[in-house]
Amino acid sequence: MADRLPMVDKLWFILPEVALFLGVVVIFIMGLSHSKRVRDMLPMITCLSLAVAFGLTWWVYEGSRGQTLLSVNPNLMLMPMVGKYVKMSACAIGIILAMVSVGSVDRRLEAAVAAGHLPFDPIRANRGEFYAFFLLSLMGVMLTCNANDLIWLFLALELTSLPTYIMVAISRPPRVAQEAAVKYFFLGAMATAIFLYGFALLYGSTGTMILTEMQRAFAAQAKADVVNSFGIIGMILAMLGICFKIAAAPMHFYAADVYEGAAAPVTAFLAFVPKTAGMVAIILLLTTLGWSGHPSTGLPEPIMTTLWMIAVLTMTLGNLGALLQRSVKRILAYSSIAHSGYMLIGVIAGPANNGINAVLFYLLVYGIMNTAAFAVLAALERRGQEIETMEDLAGLRIKHPGMAVVMAIASGSLLGVPPLLGFFAKLYLFIAGIQAGQIVLVVIAGLNTAISAWYYLGLVTLPIMAKPSAQSETIVRSPFPWPRIAGIVTAVAVVVLPLFLGPLIRASQAATTPASLTTGVTISK
Amino acid sequence: MLAVDLNAYIPVGILVLMAIIFVIVNLAATHVLGPKRHGAEKDIAYESGMNPIGTARKRFNVRFYILAMTFLVFDVEIIFLYPWAVTFTKLAPQSDEATLFLGRIMFFIATSILAYIYAWRKGVFRWD
Amino acid sequence: MTEAVQLSLGSGWLAAVDAARSVIAGPSWAGWILWLPLISLVLCGVCAALKIHTKLPAWITVGSLAISFVVIVALYMSYRQPMEIPLLDWFNLNWRSNDGQAGSFVAGFAFYVDKLTLLWMLFVTGLGTLIALYASEYMEPDVKRGYARFFAGISVFLFAMSCLVLADNLVMLYLGWEGVGFASYWLIGYYYTRPSAVAAAKKAFIVNRIGDLGLALGIWLIYYNFGTVEYANAQGTGLFQILASGSYKHEAGGWSIQAIPFLLMLGAFGKSAQIPLYVWLPDAMEGPTPVSALIHAATMVTAGVYLLARMLPVMELHPAALPTVAWIGGLTALLAATIGMAQYDIKRIWAYSTVSQLGFMFVGVGVLTTYGAAFHVFTHAFFKAVLFLTGGAVMHGFAGQLDIRKISGLRHMPGWQITAWTMLVGCLCLAGFPLSSGFFSKDEILAQVFAVHRPWLGFMLLFTALLTAYYTFRVWFRVCAGPVSYEMGEEHHGHGDDHHHGKADTGHKAPPRHAPPAHVAHQPHPPRFAINFVLVVITVGAIISTFSGSWVMDKVSHSSAAVLHAADSHEHHPGWVPWLAGTIAVAGIVVAWHFHLASRKSADALRARLLANPLTRWLPTAMENKWYVDEFYEWMIVTPLWIFAHALYLFDRYVIDLLFVDGVARLPKWMGRSFQPLQNGVLQSYAVLMAGGVGLAILLVVVLMPHLRPWLIGFFGGGG
Repeated sequence: MADRLPMVDKLWFILPEVALFLGVVVIFIMGLSHSKRVRDMLPMITCLSLAVAFGLTWWVYEGSRGQTLLSVNPNLMLMPMVGKYVKMSACAIGIILAMVSVGSVDRRLEAAVAAGHLPFDPIRANRGEFYAFFLLSLMGVMLTCNANDLIWLFLALELTSLPTYIMVAISRPPRVAQEAAVKYFFLGAMATAIFLYGFALLYGSTGTMILTEMQRAFAAQAKADVVNSFGIIGMILAMLGICFKIAAAPMHFYAADVYEGAAAPVTAFLAFVPKTAGMVAIILLLTTLGWSGHPSTGLPEPIMTTLWMIAVLTMTLGNLGALLQRSVKRILAYSSIAHSGYMLIGVIAGPANNGINAVLFYLLVYGIMNTAAFAVLAALERRGQEIETMEDLAGLRIKHPGMAVVMAIASGSLLGVPPLLGFFAKLYLFIAGIQAGQIVLVVIAGLNTAISAWYYLGLVTLPIMAKPSAQSETIVRSPFPWPRIAGIVTAVAVVVLPLFLGPLIRASQAATTPASLTTGVTISK
Repeated sequence: MLAVDLNAYIPVGILVLMAIIFVIVNLAATHVLGPKRHGAEKDIAYESGMNPIGTARKRFNVRFYILAMTFLVFDVEIIFLYPWAVTFTKLAPQSDEATLFLGRIMFFIATSILAYIYAWRKGVFRWD
Repeated sequence: MTEAVQLSLGSGWLAAVDAARSVIAGPSWAGWILWLPLISLVLCGVCAALKIHTKLPAWITVGSLAISFVVIVALYMSYRQPMEIPLLDWFNLNWRSNDGQAGSFVAGFAFYVDKLTLLWMLFVTGLGTLIALYASEYMEPDVKRGYARFFAGISVFLFAMSCLVLADNLVMLYLGWEGVGFASYWLIGYYYTRPSAVAAAKKAFIVNRIGDLGLALGIWLIYYNFGTVEYANAQGTGLFQILASGSYKHEAGGWSIQAIPFLLMLGAFGKSAQIPLYVWLPDAMEGPTPVSALIHAATMVTAGVYLLARMLPVMELHPAALPTVAWIGGLTALLAATIGMAQYDIKRIWAYSTVSQLGFMFVGVGVLTTYGAAFHVFTHAFFKAVLFLTGGAVMHGFAGQLDIRKISGLRHMPGWQITAWTMLVGCLCLAGFPLSSGFFSKDEILAQVFAVHRPWLGFMLLFTALLTAYYTFRVWFRVCAGPVSYEMGEEHHGHGDDHHHGKADTGHKAPPRHAPPAHVAHQPHPPRFAINFVLVVITVGAIISTFSGSWVMDKVSHSSAAVLHAADSHEHHPGWVPWLAGTIAVAGIVVAWHFHLASRKSADALRARLLANPLTRWLPTAMENKWYVDEFYEWMIVTPLWIFAHALYLFDRYVIDLLFVDGVARLPKWMGRSFQPLQNGVLQSYAVLMAGGVGLAILLVVVLMPHLRPWLIGFFGGGG
């Protein structure tokens, strides 16, 4: 192994990212073109490079070269197959998100230029930057999966987050977006400091940056019964810092303000992309501990306690926060917090109880159904402004029956109404939790689901059943068809995908193979 | 059992302590040793010729900043290039490692060139 | 009947599950039972999208339901032994955990067909078809509005109910269970412009969720303890097979296994409207009448009985489970009957009687005569459908009038003969008139109650039977018999529509005293062909179901619900029970005849004379005995019962609704409000909170953990 450079081998697995990077280069330059036709092609090129990355991911992992590399060098990555699943789902949902975002950036500027009021000035145009950062952030998620090094992991996580700060700021003209972006940036920087500190402690206690070696180091420490407690504290700090990315307590405070401030397509992006990266990072970090601590869940007790508290607090604060909101985006922001809490159940359950695949599956499902909900917000507007409150949605069926149904399906699925996709994802998580003996946790999650019914049913019934309000009368379709198409596609997916549950779940199971994530050595304390 | 060998952290502690002491000693020393003269010219903020007139929150043209940032990109690039160049000569020619090194720096330079093109197209160098 | 049963589980309450032992593969065309309603749903949706304002959606639905009934009949004809029909690969997960143990979670989209399934599916699809046909005429006024939406809802319901009944595993059953709840919500809220209908739909959904939570937890615990959710499978590792093999030790699971029957029970009580979750069913009558007949009387509400019958072997995991079912069923039967007596709205009376009869069925399950319970489900499905549909015909014809004091002498009106006489058949059955279908099925349960030596429960049920006979015939004598007189309801078609939804509340309120508005029809219009045809067919079905006892017994005793218990055979049934029950039914009818037909006018006249002459008050009692009965009845029975009923009603409104339903809803909101100050939008305070949270977490783990350890170990469920 010494004569083989792991880096060279790993380059093969980041081919999809390279494809995305080429897309970024093209988009950066094209966004500054003076031709409107070229600028309007940007979302298409974004989708195209994502589609290429999607295909490449499959080829890279399934092709003989990838298989050989993985078998020759098992230490290449900590969880080699997680990349295939996460990258493919990130690309697929990325395409939908790009569709949702069509027309939202630079709307006024483009309109003014088209009307001849203004000459096109590249320094004022943000569209190219938006789509380039869009792809860069997705690249960050994809790179996170391949991380086998704390520095790589750190850079990948930051690559996921940094573009999103700017995306929030340029997503729409009003000041709220900029306020949201500043908040997001500062709190994000603080969270980064926290997990970086955790990484430092991890390095200090194991003497290595490489995750696979760290796993062996922890196992050796456990075998000798001298686990360095700074390692555990470092792990907890790293987890807490990364909790910012997944919007989990106690790092969730920014979510409501930032989600509300950003434009709907960006909010949809924020709810899926950093969350996926954060979840994958947490799973990778915990895997270094060997998953054989707690007899049923595999985590050492302090970590388990911390995760347990984070999960309970996150889902409870998320759902309680959502109860009082009238703004649809704030409700969805809090619901995003609550869903992170549900997902942590799977992390606690661990790979032995199918918990990790349940999380990965849930991430995909959450991405789909959440995007559907935001697509509705992106597809409708009032005098060029986004729709905001619940009252805006009332009686949507009269004028926009399609969007009303999409909203109802998306919220029903977020609530977990059978037979929609969200139900099965939640069921799968809860089954994992129960298998791990976490009855109390699952009962709390069940109660939380019941609480969440309060606001999700509002989102289901208001568009479908209520009478149109004075506010909702003035709502019109946005001039771009793509958000609508994205909403319909995702809603159909929510309804139809349960029929393909078997293949989907098998794919998520394949992501956590080989099952020997565990070192078999128990970190007892 | 958790083992924390605190002895290993003694050097860190000493370093922290030294840093704190260094600051305190320096401040105290200036205070004690430094000559103190007062006067109309002496008490203004910049004694080196610039007159602080008007508000400090003056607006500059944003292009100064953009240009400065662009300069910074290339400035930092050079800082990275130097250690690379020093190390590269020590690698065995034609080896995998050397190829990787070359590839990396080419990628790095490519991104810088891209940044340059982007800045140019964005109109950073247009000074009107 | 017991010779067919070969297996037993041990001692105490016994159930045999032989039927599950050998499962053969069934024909794949049975899948059409599910696909047809689904296709119908899609086509109804297409009709709505294309704005087709004809009766096309109704014919699509009726047609597809009729075909799925035919498929069921074909399946019934070809039935030889329990069948397994896989349709789709749904959940099929296998894994190996780190201690090398193999685990799996298998829940396919597959049918498990035994005779119990067939029994249920026959009447579900049969009645579904007929009631959809009835609705094609009943919903006529809505052809331009919600017609397609209504029939789409019916299709969803039939799809979900078929899933529930045909499921070969508990997860698919749960899918159907939630699906029927959703269809019920959809259809109760059909008149969505009417606030009371929306509220009723919400109430039904929310109350059902409580039961559903119980069912879900029960299913999880079954999976947790038995490692499977399938009833039976080819490998012999299905739930019934594990229970039947006797390899399972009751003691092994501890509380997590003992809780299963009670959790399933909670689910059943929610869906089948038993104490304490019965409150939603009377309100559910806000839906269109065909919905009340199909979903809230004949089929969906029996899902709870089906669940407990199907899971009978599981119900015996705790010895107290079945007696609890019996007592709660009995109390519900009595309670609902007393409330039913105080109502004036025909649909409400039938609703409370449904709750009451469901109580009888649960008693049947509880005293281990699943045969009696299933028989009563079967007969009840027919006669209650008849009663609701005749009620619906009256409502349809009299512009929403449902008050039994406002309509009289229906059988003398032209065109109403079929309605009146079919209603009579239905009433006779419900009252348990000797030799009617209800008489035989109720007797089966009553006799078993006495056979297992629960006399108090038995006498309570006999009293309930008396009340049942009385309030049933109170309706018939008031509405169908007596002199012709009527007052039209205030709605043109008895429900709100977009033009005058302001006063669209006649569904269950007495109409106002003033004369109806001019645009409202003054003449009742009798039902036409579709309604009459369906009424006659279902009435014939109700009569035929009288003779179905041994047929039902054959179905039940060859399924997982079969009971192996000495007391279930007829020799042990006390011979006096049918005589007493018959007498009681007749007595109830006579009392009703007396007070609501024979003397309802003379009572008024004599009361007037009494008021005119104060001296008559002092006449000897022997002379006025006849009238004192009236007074006695008025003051000694009706008022206390009225007060009791209203007290219960108030309890329902203020304690259950306000305290439980609203209170439970308010608690999280209040908690949410108390957390709100944290979310103040100031960057610095967020940063402080985040840092504080991190610090607290570290502090907790590093400093407090060692002290909290013992407590935490308990909390995490046996880990550590």
